[in-house]
Amino acid sequence: MSEAITLLAMFKDIEPASEGIEKLQQLGLSDDDMNVISGIPVKNTILGRPSAITYVSRIGLFGAILGMFLGIFFIYGIPYLYPLLVGGQPIFPVPQGFIITFEMTMLGLMGFSFIGMFIDSGFPSYTPKEYTPEVSEGKIALLFSCPASEQEKFIDALKDAGAESVAPAEARHL
Amino acid sequence: MATIAKPLARPHAEEHEDPRQYLMHDPLPRGQMNAMVMEAMHETNPIFWGITGVLAAIVLFALGYEWYILIMQGQGTAGVLRPDYWGVFLVNTVFWIGISHAGTFISAILRVLKIESRRPFTRAAELMTTFGLVQAGLSIFMHLGRVWLVYWMFPIPNERRIWPDFHSPLMWDLMAITTYLLCSTMYLILPLIPDLAMVRDRTEGGWLKQFYRILAIGFRGTEGEWKNLTTAMNIFAFAIIPVMFSVHTIVSWDFAMASRPGWSSTVFGPYFVIGALHSGMAAVAVVLFLLRSSMKHYKYFIRAEHFNTMGTLMLLVSMAWAYFYFNDYLVPWYGGDVWDKLVQEYTEKGPLAYLWYTMLICNIAVPWAFLWNKKWRQTPWLLAIVGLLINVGMYLERYIIIPVGVTINRMPFTWRQYEPRIEVPMTIGTFALFLLLYMLASRLIPLIPVWEVQEGQEAHMIRKIGKAEISTLSDME
Repeated sequence: MSEAITLLAMFKDIEPASEGIEKLQQLGLSDDDMNVISGIPVKNTILGRPSAITYVSRIGLFGAILGMFLGIFFIYGIPYLYPLLVGGQPIFPVPQGFIITFEMTMLGLMGFSFIGMFIDSGFPSYTPKEYTPEVSEGKIALLFSCPASEQEKFIDALKDAGAESVAPAEARHL
Repeated sequence: MATIAKPLARPHAEEHEDPRQYLMHDPLPRGQMNAMVMEAMHETNPIFWGITGVLAAIVLFALGYEWYILIMQGQGTAGVLRPDYWGVFLVNTVFWIGISHAGTFISAILRVLKIESRRPFTRAAELMTTFGLVQAGLSIFMHLGRVWLVYWMFPIPNERRIWPDFHSPLMWDLMAITTYLLCSTMYLILPLIPDLAMVRDRTEGGWLKQFYRILAIGFRGTEGEWKNLTTAMNIFAFAIIPVMFSVHTIVSWDFAMASRPGWSSTVFGPYFVIGALHSGMAAVAVVLFLLRSSMKHYKYFIRAEHFNTMGTLMLLVSMAWAYFYFNDYLVPWYGGDVWDKLVQEYTEKGPLAYLWYTMLICNIAVPWAFLWNKKWRQTPWLLAIVGLLINVGMYLERYIIIPVGVTINRMPFTWRQYEPRIEVPMTIGTFALFLLLYMLASRLIPLIPVWEVQEGQEAHMIRKIGKAEISTLSDME
């Protein structure tokens, strides 16, 4: 198998970009070998791409469970360590338990979702990456890897689909 | 012979409104829009720096020097004395937490409900949440007095081996406000990342480039990054709503859990939440007016439709507040408990009765008189004045509940009218700090969530049906 090359195709809009993706798929390129970079989120079905996998909600759920146990410790564990009788209330009350447990569960859920977004996306990352600032001006970039020996075929197909430019992608500092 | 009994009405001018007057139907090239936001961030003038300097001086004096005096000389420098141990510092705490509710309401609830006109001002509201909570936190520390012992509230044993009591409403308050501050700050950061990446891309060299490079954390806008970001934002939008409700409910329980006349009320929770939204919405209207008037190009982003949305919400919330206030008023009045009666009489006929009447005028009469009319709602300066008056009313409401409320208790020999002392400059300090943080933020981050506006514009289309042009929305999210 020949050496792979990474190319970056620029499209003015979503329509030609989705055309370009279809062309690449027709040429036998796997969905895993391409990535779309855009300035706004574009639904995968609009681009004809499979949905990206995310672990953010699972990480968030883990955080929620962790937070819940922490809340339970605060409301029931601490009185166990230092019993403090107030106003004839029980040491291990249920109603107050809901309040602290709720707050800590939500803090865990959101805190871990936030951290999960960072972990799953590989943020923060300051290493050179394939990117072009034109993306934030509204253009759609299609980043893909193909065999170097066949790159002309891919470039022609994308230009037919409406790509403004197709060039080897260069990793650079953002 | 006429074919209809009644003459037809002439077409009303409003029936022929141009859909392009709405931001979602008036797109500009994205590069141009980005440039406008960048220009608004970078363009300053001597007046801006003059105001910033004055605010910084007030903050230094009020929150530096005056606080130093408070710490060195003790709470005696404040007006708190038996029975008014809860004074203006706690009024400020409740007020600022109330202000902070607007950000979550606008950003989360309107996002969940997919109300499109929210898009250009979600960040302005989210910033209010974070900066408002900073003031609330500072106000609690002022009230604490010995701030260096705050760690006694942390879930660790102190030097006397005493653990905090999580059965206490004050501890619930600490946990709720901490959760809300952390989560609303994260919720502010998430949608900011793509805009910081845009600013990074448009900033040429120098330390500013490095600054935005670090803040943008390497965001490019790949499919995976967007998926992770939008998933996290959706989780936050749904999860932060019950937290928002819980925060002000728990703040109300600080009062309602005490068996004190005027406070022990089962309706206090929702009444406080609505009150928080009332002041928060009104504050957003004021901020929108200030941003629109002072920031270059913001007239493109913040339009009459947005003031109309805010005005409608303010009117609805005002009605809800009146409903809950009447509930809270009627039950003790009807019940006839002697102490409750005394509190009500003191509030309505006592030396501070003018506060009560001003509160009712600002919170009910003013919004009802001015916000029913669409043209008035769309007038930015008028909405800002109404918003300002509502905030005066809501501040007075908290003042009536806290220091005025604690004046009348079951021990008449302790009755004493509270008069704030060092609290006054320190309160001014919190307002100055809020404005100062906002002004500095306006130069560092885009106050308009550009990518969200662009996303909305992408999803909106004008479709001609019959003779009319109708706004349609595609499900792009």
